[in-house]
Amino acid sequence: MTENIQNTQPNIYKPAITKIVARHDEAPGVRTLKLEFQNPADQEEFKKTFRTGMFGLYGVYGEGESTFCVASPETRKDYIECTFRQSGRVTSALANADIGDLITFRGPYGNRFPIEEFYGKNLLFISGGIALPPTRSVIWSCLDQREKFGKVTIVYGARTVADLVYKHELEEWQQREDVELVLTVDPGGESPDWKHKVGFVPTVLEEAAPSPDNCIAVICGPPIMIKFTLISLKKLGFDEKNVYTTLENRMKCGVGKCGRCNVGSIYVCKEGPVFTAAEVSRMPAADL
Amino acid sequence: MTRILLSDKLDNCVERWRSAGMTVIGPVQGESISRYAVVENGAGFDFGMILPDRSVKELFFPQTEPMLRYTIKKSEIDTADFPPPQEKRIIFGARACDASGLAIDDSLFGWDYKDDFWFHRRNESVIVTIACTKADDFCMCTSLDLAPDSTKGCDVLLRPLENNRGWQVEEITDRGREAFAVIADLLQESSDQAAPTAVVTEKFNLDACVTWLQNPENFDSKFWKEISMRCIGCASCTYLCPTCHCFDIQDEGDTYSGIRRKNWDSCSFALFTMHTSGHNPRSTQSARWRQRIMHKFNYFPGKFSVNSCSGCGRCSRQCPVDMGITETLQEISKLQS
Repeated sequence: MTENIQNTQPNIYKPAITKIVARHDEAPGVRTLKLEFQNPADQEEFKKTFRTGMFGLYGVYGEGESTFCVASPETRKDYIECTFRQSGRVTSALANADIGDLITFRGPYGNRFPIEEFYGKNLLFISGGIALPPTRSVIWSCLDQREKFGKVTIVYGARTVADLVYKHELEEWQQREDVELVLTVDPGGESPDWKHKVGFVPTVLEEAAPSPDNCIAVICGPPIMIKFTLISLKKLGFDEKNVYTTLENRMKCGVGKCGRCNVGSIYVCKEGPVFTAAEVSRMPAADL
Repeated sequence: MTRILLSDKLDNCVERWRSAGMTVIGPVQGESISRYAVVENGAGFDFGMILPDRSVKELFFPQTEPMLRYTIKKSEIDTADFPPPQEKRIIFGARACDASGLAIDDSLFGWDYKDDFWFHRRNESVIVTIACTKADDFCMCTSLDLAPDSTKGCDVLLRPLENNRGWQVEEITDRGREAFAVIADLLQESSDQAAPTAVVTEKFNLDACVTWLQNPENFDSKFWKEISMRCIGCASCTYLCPTCHCFDIQDEGDTYSGIRRKNWDSCSFALFTMHTSGHNPRSTQSARWRQRIMHKFNYFPGKFSVNSCSGCGRCSRQCPVDMGITETLQEISKLQS
């Protein structure tokens, strides 16, 4: 039947053009780009739609597009920041791009962290390695309206001291009295002047033993870290419904058509990337 | 009395439609493969085959399709749209399974973000289905609540006449009526009977299969390994499938100018889901075959209330190692009963 044929709209695969206005090396092979839209209409659209947790497809014509989160918060929407590790064709092209160069952006796509639901609650952010960027978007979205939340604790670990990203911001959080920052590196990853913890994130988390009372946990990290951190959170008494994470799968379209990012029946691009631990535990583990 | 179209009027029909600015497409037997292709006169059609080797999908979602053209200058990037061709088409002699496949994929391509490349072609095409009067062992439309004379996705349904001299005409949509108004005077009233539609035996119990697939315990069943042991991951089944829609996006060109394309991709390939880190959620062929079956009969209907399979049987018919959806669902039917 033809009734269900829908009206047409402009090319949904056409990206916006953004200019790199700043870049910063975070760790070996890890770089942050700050982007500004070239077209005011794209900027307006982004301002209207972006909420923390959403992702985008960043691209260099001739190389392709790559999916990662928007690392800047929803409280600062005049620009986009993204942080990525140079590892493939597209991220190499992005890493080679200079200040003033133009790159493409498609998005923001996906769902978000429901931070209004976190008002009045304590927040526990747990992150590992290159997974701080998505957490950082939520952290700043909350710190920029600090009075709306209770205690804020950030547990962040990386393999080595050099691998910690956003070092300048870690310092800032360290100095703030309204943030408790727990930093750790994996055993063997410490430097002679390292003054913080040595140990894996789940262990350090259990030592810090944050209270689950009236607390929302946001965790982001490699699959192995998430797996063990969830066990630790359970031990500490956290309810799966109060634990949020974000999933990242390979994507090409970002809009629910290309067919690869699903975990079981869940399309990460459309129904995610933000899920509660309760939602993740209902997904088939073998598909993660 | 019903309206009929005689086969010997086909030449005139093609001519009329062509002079009305439509491209006429139909089942064509090529040298090595049959497909839906452009025909210039009545003799170009081949209505003898059960169904063409390749599905009608490629006329709406081509194997490779330019989406935009980029030009990079010193301080600006120009992105030009690459709209789908402005071409009115009539696809005469589609099979019901192929037409249904299009209707099935409408939900996917229209889900929230609407893919204009698909819908533009859908809106510009008239689908004339010819009901099947013969089927082979691989046909399985009836197992999927469809039939050799389904009208799903079709604008005009033709039923072959018993005496083989033409077709009964049943206009289904306004778009179909419009296209057939062009040839109205070539139709005639007749009491000729339609030939019986093909008997397609039920190949599996779909309800039982769906129940089994929806049971989370069966996700890790050793069945998946056993059934997919001989899959060589060639992706033929997905490429020939009228509903498989997965694609890749690739740039063709250099740093200064080129074309961004949407290309067919397949869940059969390991690279399909491989992360840059090397982690692969579906790292084995069995996980990938499970994804294909789950997607078609569990995930897709869960979202769009329709199976992502129209029962054409191409996946089994053309599989180089004799696997396919039919066999898998037959085995699952047994497991559930």
